[in-house]
Amino acid sequence: MSRFINDQVSAAVWLALGLMLAIASVRYGLGTLDSPGTGFMPFLAGLAISLFSFIGMVQATLKQKQGLRWKPTMRGYLWKRALIVMAALLAYALLLKPLGFFLCTALFIGFLLRAVQPQTWSVVIIGAMGTAAAAYGIFQIWLQAQLPKGPWGF
Amino acid sequence: MVMGFQVALQPANLFFCFLGVLIGTLVGVLPGLGPVAAISLLLPTTFHVTPVSAIIMLAGIYYGAMYGGSTTSILVNIPGEAASVVTCLDGYKMARQGRAGPALGIAACGSFIAGTIGIIGLMLIAPPLAKMALKFGPPEYFSLMVMGLTILTFLASGPMWKALLMAAFGLFLGCIGMDTLMGATRFTFDIVELSDGIGLVPVVMGLFGISEVLLNVEQSMERSIFETKIKNLLPTLRDWADSLGAIFRGTVIGFFLGVLPGGGAVISSFVSYAVEKKVSKYPEKFGTGVIQGVAGPESANNAATGGAFIPLLTLGIPANAVMAILLGALMIHGMQPGPMLVKEHPGLFWGAVTSMYLGNVMLLVLNLPLIGLWVKILKVPYPILFPLILLFCLVGSYSLNNSITEALIMVIFGLIGYLFKKFEYEAAPLVLALVLGPMMETALRRSLLLSAGDPMIFLTRPISAALMLISFFLLAFPFVPWLKKKHAGLSQGEAKK
Repeated sequence: MSRFINDQVSAAVWLALGLMLAIASVRYGLGTLDSPGTGFMPFLAGLAISLFSFIGMVQATLKQKQGLRWKPTMRGYLWKRALIVMAALLAYALLLKPLGFFLCTALFIGFLLRAVQPQTWSVVIIGAMGTAAAAYGIFQIWLQAQLPKGPWGF
Repeated sequence: MVMGFQVALQPANLFFCFLGVLIGTLVGVLPGLGPVAAISLLLPTTFHVTPVSAIIMLAGIYYGAMYGGSTTSILVNIPGEAASVVTCLDGYKMARQGRAGPALGIAACGSFIAGTIGIIGLMLIAPPLAKMALKFGPPEYFSLMVMGLTILTFLASGPMWKALLMAAFGLFLGCIGMDTLMGATRFTFDIVELSDGIGLVPVVMGLFGISEVLLNVEQSMERSIFETKIKNLLPTLRDWADSLGAIFRGTVIGFFLGVLPGGGAVISSFVSYAVEKKVSKYPEKFGTGVIQGVAGPESANNAATGGAFIPLLTLGIPANAVMAILLGALMIHGMQPGPMLVKEHPGLFWGAVTSMYLGNVMLLVLNLPLIGLWVKILKVPYPILFPLILLFCLVGSYSLNNSITEALIMVIFGLIGYLFKKFEYEAAPLVLALVLGPMMETALRRSLLLSAGDPMIFLTRPISAALMLISFFLLAFPFVPWLKKKHAGLSQGEAKK
């Protein structure tokens, strides 16, 4: 990775994506200029992504030759915390319907309060239950948001 | 205006105006939750109220956030929202010098003056512009949107290729779902929820809300709130003398940049700071606690909020991501923003405009005495605050359509936004392109149908040609210094021979 710089890597990814999108758009039909088809606009967008990313790769390569190096994106950061939060978000979205809003929210808040920057257990339990109850009251009862009910009816 | 006051002074609308500015100020104070996320989150709550009340409240959140953002910038050196980033530079330094009161005071007063002038501008310019917009056809709309995207990419920080790439990606995302002209679906992968396209709300909440939290948790979450007795909130005569020019310059800059599609409060504040530094007799002092460095940008970002309503209400084109959500809100309530809005729904138009006057007065009253309360809220530790922010985002995205897919889209875009920030890509062009994309596609295809496939239609119609020329100029402009250098280098080489 240190052979390349950040912009070269990201531009290469975008170039590949742009070409894929442009090719995939063709199957929707490009139509003609006087009657553009369904695939016309996504094809243009894919081409534009490819073009700009190619320009980016060229510029980045010139900068690399001038001495620019890879800039660490994770070193010095507590990136595992971000990973924990992402995992919690995905789990919440997937477990919301099976567990119901109240329980899922309490577990979500409790997990984050304990896992990211550990709070005391009293803060975790009171925070989790209190937040779930307050959120239930605000969203379900006051705003009538129709949140999922778990097997326990809430 | 009389009709406007009659609408705005109704008790229900006064209440929603107050609620909007209060929530907006709170959102502006709290780092990590900007007006885009707040408006997205509260959008579903407006389904049960009248369209006028909904727009009054949502608009109040927008300009309220501009007021609130300055408090954290000055006291904590953390911008409450993006348009207050520049205020950190001199505002925090003023606080360290024991001048937090005048900094907060001039930010509030400057915002009030600029916000009021911006509303007057909106009132004067919108109706004649709406009349002119009736002459706009598909080529003009397409060219205007191209210009808007080009302006935003031109003013974005970082290399222009990145901003243009983001805009192109946003245009692609806007294509996902139903092709309204042909009735076919594109890139939905048989997911039913995607047939209506990727929702703007989950995308912006992910890109701006979730990603911001992910970046914040990676770092030390301790923040020190500068403990100082905040006194003498009212600026002195000397402060007024030093700031008045900056306030009026910021107002003009903010208003006109707010009007342009692609401009907005963030860019206005940066441009205003740059202008103040340029015109100052002591530019080297900027960054050390100069009051013009607070007065100008804070005025600009508030004037921009008034200006931003003009293209939305008269042309039906959102100038920025916040306006895009308001456009969505208006359409959900059965209103079609555009040249006919002033004529068909004068109560909504003038009621919303007049409520902004009242909202600005409420904000001035709220911000000065309640600074102590906002500082207390800031003291809530971030490890306790961020789970609440995430929860609001999750519930907000789910409750739009009672769909887990929307929540998952938000989470995915949260990860994408996080990666964008790591690799220094700006999300704003993507969001604007996502909103404008479907409208641009329709305008482009209709224009080509009109001209039997001749793309010169964009250059043969005068208004469209003018807009395209501006876009081309902005795209070519960054290359001009490079071209000049190259030419100078070649000339020197030939002279040596």
